[in-house]
Amino acid sequence: MKNLIGIVGTNSDNSTNRQLLQFIQKHFSGKANIEVCEIKDLPGFNKPKDREAPVEVQKLSDKIEEADGVIISTPEYNHSVPAALKSTLEWLSYTTQPLIDKAVMITGASYGRLGSSRSQAHLRQMLDAPELKARIMPSSEFLLGFSLQAFEENGDLKDKSKIEELEGIFDDFIQFVDITNQLVNAKSTHKKQAQQFSWEDH
Amino acid sequence: MKIVGIVGSNADFSYNRLLLNFIAKKFDKLIDVEVLDIADVPMFNQSNDQTNSDVIQNLNKKILAADGVIIATPEYNHSIPSALQSVLEWLSFKIHPLDGKPVMIVGASYDVQGSSRSQLHLRQILDAPGVNAVVMPGNEFLLGEVHKAFDQERNLKDKETTQFLETCIKKFIRFINVVNVMHSPEGMKDLSSTEDLYATGSIDTTIKDINMLDDDWVEQAAEKTNAADGNTYVKLNRGILTVDQINYFLDSMPAELTFADSNNQFLYYNYKYEAEDMLAARRPEQVGNPLAECHPERAYSSVAWVIQQLRTGKEDVVRTHVPTHGPDKFVVHSYQAVRDDDGNYLGINEYVRDIKPIIDWYLEQTGQQLTGGGVDAVSGATSKVDSVSGATVKDN
Ligand SMILES: Cc1cc2nc3c(=O)[nH]c(=O)nc-3n(C[C@H](O)[C@H](O)[C@H](O)COP(=O)(O)O)c2cc1C
Ligand SMILES: Cc1cc2nc3c(=O)[nH]c(=O)nc-3n(C[C@H](O)[C@H](O)[C@H](O)COP(=O)(O)O)c2cc1C
Repeated sequence: MKNLIGIVGTNSDNSTNRQLLQFIQKHFSGKANIEVCEIKDLPGFNKPKDREAPVEVQKLSDKIEEADGVIISTPEYNHSVPAALKSTLEWLSYTTQPLIDKAVMITGASYGRLGSSRSQAHLRQMLDAPELKARIMPSSEFLLGFSLQAFEENGDLKDKSKIEELEGIFDDFIQFVDITNQLVNAKSTHKKQAQQFSWEDH
Repeated sequence: MKIVGIVGSNADFSYNRLLLNFIAKKFDKLIDVEVLDIADVPMFNQSNDQTNSDVIQNLNKKILAADGVIIATPEYNHSIPSALQSVLEWLSFKIHPLDGKPVMIVGASYDVQGSSRSQLHLRQILDAPGVNAVVMPGNEFLLGEVHKAFDQERNLKDKETTQFLETCIKKFIRFINVVNVMHSPEGMKDLSSTEDLYATGSIDTTIKDINMLDDDWVEQAAEKTNAADGNTYVKLNRGILTVDQINYFLDSMPAELTFADSNNQFLYYNYKYEAEDMLAARRPEQVGNPLAECHPERAYSSVAWVIQQLRTGKEDVVRTHVPTHGPDKFVVHSYQAVRDDDGNYLGINEYVRDIKPIIDWYLEQTGQQLTGGGVDAVSGATSKVDSVSGATVKDN
């Protein structure tokens, strides 16, 4: 069985994105082991000279490194990715770079009708930056709109068609993880390039 | 114009900070920029509201009080840095100081792309309903390869880049005016944007590279142009006078004279009395200022209207009477178009005078009287004077 991690893209105590990841964890427990990880204890990124990852960042980074694939669930703040998640990605790109060539699936939940479509688009562009270089699953967008009303008491999604949609995307993702991890050759050079890459000396 | 510049980076050393400092220094004749740092702003957290902290309240107050905001953003992973994102989250959570505020985006980055992607993200973010800023379209100022862009004195090395930046800043000043018109109450026609009251352009005679706001603008400009003075002769149409003679001649005119050029820069007044003794107060250190600096903002619309009448040739003179000096004075401000031989608009000759002594003298000489009472008497007198002047024309 695959080992995946789900990153909650917010530092908020209450989060429908956290609920969504917890649902995914439970619903697909027969298909993958999914650990839900938090970013709320990470310090804000401030470009330290030494390029050292703080302990919390290192922990998250190790989990990403070990996982077969990563699911990121992002809220939408002002049509973009919340600062807390941006900061996390800055730490990862600036220090340990564990997302390079990692299979990533994006989900998102928002209070309004659009279900974080705009922040997901931004997140895709970010994950494509040279120091992140994640392998984002193409043509898959899981948008959960009206997220405050979307869950049952027990944490299940209310809308059956939404669950089916999620199942389809999740199955694709399991295959996508396999394909991505098979591209071993390309991967090692890719990684080397990215790790040598620095914005500040090219 | 008061502008707040927000450094979109929390790094100890930031090229975007350099860029804003350069803008503040280089264009201090055009705008008054206060550069604000965001390094002390805590990470936004919905569950831990810190809207009332000093840092955030300070940003809030400064932004509210500013005419416009310039945001300088780096590019981190193809987007704006979390530090800037966090600030914008605070400023759209419980408070909304950027609502309706004119914003200009600039950005400096290592890549040749120079923050193009983060600027696009920033536009979308500023457009979100909680922020609702009014972002100036186009005029993308991208400074790529920043590590090569500044010289030792922290000035931009490239002349053309600096020139483009100046164009952007000037457009931003106009954009702020347009946004203000957009936000004025419905039905009220604000014409201030029809004229460049900040004199951001220049004409052939504009004396360049001197701060229009400097108290000693006249002295600096005189030195720069090697201006004639004292008993140097000047040839006029038609005659020859020394500069001293011209001065005394203009001082002897029975009016307060002011000249502002077609670029809306205040260039001259016949300085004879101190401000408190004048009908329309002027101070020596105001000479050189753009007209916007000589009037309160609420007057911009009417000032622009008057200039438009003259510039477009609709009128040769626009007059207003100013009753605030009391019943013993009939103060008239006349705005007379100054034109060259071909009729091109060169500026305004504003002459201000109390016409009561002349009217009194005339009535006494002719045995005529003012009819009516109170304020109407004034307008009554005016129409009488009109008919009198008609008679004068006939006599000629
Ligand atoms: C500062 C701020 C900005 C927000 N901007 C948006 C937005 O642009 N679009 C949106 O759908 N919800 C917005 N929201 C509302 C919700 O936080 C958002 O829908 C979020 O995706 C919910 O995810 P969560 O339940 O995991 O926190 C905003 C909230 C805050 C505090
Ligand atoms: C985490 C991180 C991500 C970066 N990503 C980008 C990028 O996507 N594009 C780019 O042009 N520069 C990128 N850079 C380099 C910045 O352009 C550079 O650090 C620049 O100096 C930032 O502006 P500042 O000096 O005002 O802080 C990145 C730097 C950091 C620390």
